[in-house]
Formats: sequence, C-alpha cells, structure tokens
Amino acid sequence: MLRRSTLIAALMVLVGALAPAIPAAAAADPAAIISNLGSRALEVLGKDATQSQRVARFRELLRQDFDVPGIGRFVLGRYWNQATEEQRAEFVKLFEDYIAMAYATRLAEYTGETFKVTGSRPDGDGAIVSSQILRPGGAPPVKVDWRLTGRNGAYKISDVSVDGISMAVTQRSEFASVIQHNGGQVQGLITMLRQRIAGGASR
Amino acid sequence: MNVRPLRFSDLLFCSAVVLCGCASRPETVEQQTAAFEEDFNDPFEDTNRKIFEFNQVVDRNVLVPVAKAYRTALPDPVRDSLRDFLNNLREPLVFANDTLQGQFERAGTTLGRFVLNSTIGIGGLVDVAGRWGVPYHEEDLGLTLGAWGIPEGPYIVVPILGPSNPRDLGGQVAEGFGDPWNILVSGNPWTLYWIPYVRGGVNGVDQRSRYIETLADIERTSLDYYATIRSLYRQRRAALIRHEQEESLPPKAGFSRREDRWTPGMTANSPARPGVVSEATNVTEVVK
Repeated sequence: MLRRSTLIAALMVLVGALAPAIPAAAAADPAAIISNLGSRALEVLGKDATQSQRVARFRELLRQDFDVPGIGRFVLGRYWNQATEEQRAEFVKLFEDYIAMAYATRLAEYTGETFKVTGSRPDGDGAIVSSQILRPGGAPPVKVDWRLTGRNGAYKISDVSVDGISMAVTQRSEFASVIQHNGGQVQGLITMLRQRIAGGASR
Repeated sequence: MNVRPLRFSDLLFCSAVVLCGCASRPETVEQQTAAFEEDFNDPFEDTNRKIFEFNQVVDRNVLVPVAKAYRTALPDPVRDSLRDFLNNLREPLVFANDTLQGQFERAGTTLGRFVLNSTIGIGGLVDVAGRWGVPYHEEDLGLTLGAWGIPEGPYIVVPILGPSNPRDLGGQVAEGFGDPWNILVSGNPWTLYWIPYVRGGVNGVDQRSRYIETLADIERTSLDYYATIRSLYRQRRAALIRHEQEESLPPKAGFSRREDRWTPGMTANSPARPGVVSEATNVTEVVK
C-alpha cells in the first residue's frame, strides 16, 4: 500500500514538474495551427519575395510545424533500415533542403488566393485538419487535408494531401524509384539530392 | 536487408496483386511495406518511359506553346465560359456514370445542373448552377468501372494522351462511342464530322493551359518526373473513385509515428482499412 501511494505521489510530482514545460501552443487545437500556418505562409511566400527568400522563410515554417525527421523516415520507406547512421542523418538534412526548395515555389502560386480551414477531427493520437484553397474564376476549390501527429503535447504535420493526393506517398514513390534505378542504393538518392540542391541554390 | 535489382518475377507479383484486387494482401508489416515499395504497378516501365519522353517532346514543342498562346489570346472570362461550355457538354456522360455507380443524389445534381445551365446558362456558356453553389464534378467510365471494383490493370503511358491504364483507357474509348453529341453529329450531314475533333482539341488545350506553371514546377523540382507523374496519376484516380473531393474522407495513406504501420490504401481498388492507423497509435503518451 505504502509503495503504491509513494508511486502515485512520485507520479504527481513528475506530472507537476512536466506540466509547465508543455508550451502554450500544445493546448492549441490542430485547426488553429493550420490556419495560423496558412496565413503565415501567404504572408511570407508572396509574389514579391525572391526565390531564395521564399526558400529560407519556408524552411522556418517547415522546422516549426512539420515533423521533418518523421516524414524523411517515412519517405525513405524500407530503405531507411538499410541506410547507415550517417546516410540517415545526411538524408534528413538534404530532404529538408529539398522540400524547402521544391515546395516554396509550388506554394507561391497559391498566394493571393483564399485559404480557409473547414474542419478538424481526431485521428489516432493526432488529427486531420481539412482546408480549402479557394481559386478565383469559379474554379473548384483545392481541397487540402493536413495530417498532424501529436507528440510530447505538440502537434506536428506529418502529411499533406491535395485533392486526395498524399505528398508523402508521392515523395516516397519517387524516391523509391530513384533508389531502384541506382541499383537499390540509398547513396544514389543522396547524391542526386545533393546535386539538385546545389543546382537549385545557384538558380 | 539484402538488396537486389527488381526482377521480372517481382513485377509479375505486383501486377498479380493488383489484378487480384489485392485479395492476397501480405500479412506481416515488413511484407506490406515491401509490397508497397515495389508496387509501382508498372510492368512496362521501359516502354512507358520511352512514350513518356516522346509525349514530353510533343508537350514542350506543341501543346505548351499552343496552350500559352490560347491563354494570352483569350481573356479569363472567355476561357472560363468555354470551360463551362465544355463541362456542360460532358454532363450527359457524367449523369450516366453517376447513375451507373448508384450515386443517385449526384446524378440528380448533374441533371439539375445540365437543365439549368443549358437554358438559363445559355447553352452552358454560363455555369449558373456553379454560382448557386452546385459545382461541376468529374466522372467518367474508368471511375465507374473502378467503383464497381474492376482493377486498374498495369500503368500505361499512351502516346499524346498520357498516363492511363487499361481500365481508364477502355472507358475513354467506350465513352467516345457513347457520347450523345458524337452520336448526334455522326448521324448528321458529313459537314459536321470535325466537331468532336475540335471539341477534343480545345478541351486538351484548355486543360493544359491550367497547369502550365504547376507541371513546369513539378518537372523542375522532381528527381524523377516520370515516377512523380505516375504516382500523382494513380493517387488522383483512386481519390476520384472514393469521391474524396466531395466527401472529405481522410487521406487513406498516411502514417502514424510508427512509420512501419503505414496504411497501404493508395492502390486503387484496395478497400480502405480503417483502424490501421488507430491500431498503431501509442497510448502511453497521453498529454492532456
């Protein structure tokens, strides 16, 4: 009996100690995170920004709101297990650069259009937030779903689906194809990413 | 894990899995992941890549320049009106497909749109129904066959037409014969025979003109543009079969923190496997 109560007391102390450590944002609901991200993205990726500014700003958003290591691991799929520690570390770093470069431009096209969060529902230990990008000229809105994973009380984005197309799955499929065409070696993908990022930076 | 180049037997296995509608889904997590990784559903990849390259040449030298000229020559409202008109011409087939899928509410919507837009909307030039909050929805025979559970078959790249599969291509051909406007003009004086071709051409140019920047960006940033397009096409068709756009279903693919428990739902025809994601959730970290 004594044991159990000490255990409970210890737990309570632990919980008490941890509670203040949870950032205020953790309490925020996933929908708020996405709508906040949407408005910040529209702000920083505006048409006036230069490409390098866009990439740098988008990288900040990426680091704040996305589970980049988790996504990196997912997109490497079974090749993750086969990669060495150094390869994994380098891949995650290159992957972040690559995503920042690739998506900053793609998203810039949508600036000036209206972004609105339309709903949110729990999904396992995370949530799925639905949103729409309203396009001018009566074109059907683009439907964007955000998959968030809860971790340590904070939500991080782990996948984005556009009109039912998952970006993580697309990336995974492409990377798997690149690896297969390089004799099944992760190093082939890493080399290609490195070249692409070097080329993109000089653009 | 030992790596070996993809063998023909793997491809055979992959297409067999797809053709069987994934009835014999591998059991273990590792097998699941492996099946996904190699399931590009593309046994004719070498040929497909060659046709894809050819299409790229045509796209760069003919389609894109024409699409750009079209976009420059015609102001936004004119092009939108043209798009509405072309969409309206498709409504009878959309209606047929809605009905064939047993989606009677959607069929009703389509019928209402067609009647309204063809009359008040001046023969479809104005999408009145869309402005009143009843937007156009895509539907075709390939999607209907998919909804019936008919497998997509292997991925193929068709010259000029682009990404497809036997199911979608078959649907397209059959629709060509079944299209009421085509039937109408073929029964008419020979002077009208060109209409379906012009319609097809304008439709293609208009579609292409709406994705000039998007596709150029994807091509520029992709490491393997062919593989990206393949994935986009297959996912998009699967999403349309699920009526993703309208019903705001969850993305079937996605992953939990345990990345190995990925839900392999992106293959068209494989039924959603609800619960996989929640199974994988870890209850030990409850922070409220």
